[in-house]
Amino acid sequence: MSNKNQINKRYSKWGYIFSIPFFVIFLIFSFWPIASTVFYAFCYLKHAGNTHPQLLFLVGKPWYQNFKDIFISKSFWDAFKNTFFFFLASTIPEWILAFWLAVMMTDRRLKIKGRAIFKLSFFFPKLVAGTALGGSLLIHVISVVGESIGNILTISAIDGFGITPEDLEPIMSIQFFVIVVTLFLHYGITFIYAVVGITGIPVEIFEAAEIDGATRRQTFFNITLPCMKPMLFFITVISVVDGIGMADIPSYFGPFDTLRRNLTLMTYMENQAFQGSYAYDRASAASLVLLAIYIIVSGIIYLTFLRDKDEAELKKLKRLERKALKDSLKAG
Amino acid sequence: MSDYVNTLTEEKKKDNTLKIVTYIVSILLTILVMVPFIEMLKDVFGSETIVQPGPNGTFSIIRVPKEGLITWKEFCDLFNTNTFIGFRNSVIVTVLNTILNIYFSALTAYAITAYDWKLRNGFEKLIIIAMMIPNTVATVGTIQMIYQLGLTNKLFIFIIPAIATPMTVFFMRMYLKATFSRDIVESARIDGAGEFRIFNQIIFPIMKPAIATQTIFCFVASWTNDWVPRIVILDDQKKILPIASAAPGAELLLSIPPIILYLFLSKQIVEGISLGSVKM
Repeated sequence: MSNKNQINKRYSKWGYIFSIPFFVIFLIFSFWPIASTVFYAFCYLKHAGNTHPQLLFLVGKPWYQNFKDIFISKSFWDAFKNTFFFFLASTIPEWILAFWLAVMMTDRRLKIKGRAIFKLSFFFPKLVAGTALGGSLLIHVISVVGESIGNILTISAIDGFGITPEDLEPIMSIQFFVIVVTLFLHYGITFIYAVVGITGIPVEIFEAAEIDGATRRQTFFNITLPCMKPMLFFITVISVVDGIGMADIPSYFGPFDTLRRNLTLMTYMENQAFQGSYAYDRASAASLVLLAIYIIVSGIIYLTFLRDKDEAELKKLKRLERKALKDSLKAG
Repeated sequence: MSDYVNTLTEEKKKDNTLKIVTYIVSILLTILVMVPFIEMLKDVFGSETIVQPGPNGTFSIIRVPKEGLITWKEFCDLFNTNTFIGFRNSVIVTVLNTILNIYFSALTAYAITAYDWKLRNGFEKLIIIAMMIPNTVATVGTIQMIYQLGLTNKLFIFIIPAIATPMTVFFMRMYLKATFSRDIVESARIDGAGEFRIFNQIIFPIMKPAIATQTIFCFVASWTNDWVPRIVILDDQKKILPIASAAPGAELLLSIPPIILYLFLSKQIVEGISLGSVKM
C-alpha cells in the first residue's frame, strides 16, 4: 500500500501540470474581469470608451454613490422583481415538462419509437436560437400561442364557459410570452441532460423496483432523482445561470416597453453600460449586485445538493468508532 | 390467478394511454418546431413576401409564390462578400473555441480525477464556484480589459478564454468519475507510455460521449455569441457572421452549421448513453 502511495505521489506533479492552462486562463480572463468589475463599482467611470477609472472619494463623492444610484432607481427594482418572476415561472413548468418527457423517452416498458427525431426536435429551438431561423421559430411560437388565446377569447365571447376576458388578462401580457418563449427554448437542454442522467443509472435498479411493484411515480421520486444527484446539480446550476442571467429573450420583445415589463437585471446592466448611458461604474455596481444574487442562490443550491448528509454522518460514526477502538486499546 | 391477469391487463391499458399521451405531446412539439423551419426555407427559396401599403395607413401582407425553383443567379445574390468574410471568421473562431474548450476541459477533469495532489480538492471547489458564477457578470470588466490592452478588432480574445470553461470541466469530471479506472492507466504506464500519451490515446477516446454532448453545447454557444463582439469588433474584415452586415443568405449560413453538427454527433450521444449505463 505504501509502495502504491509512493508511486501515486511521484505522478502527482502531472496533476499540477495538466491543470495549469485552465488556471492561468481562468485568472486572466475570468478572475481579472470580475475583480476589476468590483473595483469599478467604487469608481467614477462614465462616457463611451473611457478607460481611466477614478476612485469615487477622490472625485469628491461618497464611495457608495453608484450603489445609491442603483438602489434609488425604480427600474432596478422592477428588473429585480421581473428577473425572479421570470426565473421561477419559466423554470418550474420547464422542469416538469423536460423531466416528464425524459422519463417517458427512456422508459423501457413504453418503448417510444422515433426517439431520435423527437430528441432533435426538442433540442432544435436551442440549436438555432440566436439565428434568424430561431427568430422565425419564436415568431411562429408566439403567433400560435397568441392565436390560441384569441380562440379562447372568441369562445368565451360566444358562450361564457365561465371564462371572462378579465380572467385571461394575465396571459395576454408580455411577461407571459417571455415565459413561454424561455420555456420553449430551454426545455431541450434540461431534457438532454435529464436523459443523460437517467440512462447513467444501472438498469438493474429499475428492474428490481419493477419486480417489487413500484409505480412509475415512486420509481421516479425514490430512485431516479436520488440516483442522478450530480446531474441534477448540474441541471440546476444551468437553470440558475441562464435564468437569472436572462437577457436576450426579454429584449427580443423590444426595448421600448415604458412600463419595464420585460426588463431583467442583465438587460438593466447592459443598458447602463453600453446602450446610451455608458455609465460603466453604475453597470459595475449592478453586476456586483447580480454577483451577490448568484452567490446567495448558488450557496443555497450547493448546500442542498452537494453536501452529502449521509456521508457526513458516516464520517462522524467512523471517527467515533476509531476513538472507541483507541480507548479500548488503551484500556486493555 | 385471474386477479393477477386482471392487474396485468389493467397495467397494459394504463401503459397504452401513457404511450399515446407521450406520442401526442412529442408530435405536437415536433410540428411546432418543423413548421417555421419549412416556412423559412420557403422564404429563401420559394415565395416572396410583399408588404403592400393600403389606404389610411393600413397595410396588407401578400405572399407571391415563385414559379419553379430559384435560379443560380438569384441564389448568388443572396450573399455578398461580407457574408463570406463573416462566415470564414465565424468558422475559425467557433471551431478553435470548441476544440480548445473540449480538449483542455477534458485535460483538467483528468488532472482532478487521476492524480492525488495537494490542492486538488481546493481546485475542484474553485471550479464548482466558478461554474455557478457566469462570465456575463463581468462584462464591464472584460470590455474595459479589451480597451485597455488595445485588443479591439482581435479575434483571439474570443478563442483563448475557452480553455477555462468550468461548466464543461464539471461535466467531464462527472463522466470520468463514473467511467475512469486506474488499472488502465497503470497498465499503460507499465508499457512505458508517457502521461500525455496516456491522456491523448486512452482517456480522451474513452470520454467520447461526454465530448460529443459538450461539443454541441459549446459550438452553439460560441456560434451565436454576438454580445461582446458587437461592441469590440468594428472592422469589417474581422466581423463574425452574426454581426456582419445582413444579407438574406447570412441567415441561412448562420442556421445550418449547428444542425449539421448535431446530425453528425447525435448518434454519439445516444451511443454514449447506453455505454455509460453498462459501466458503473
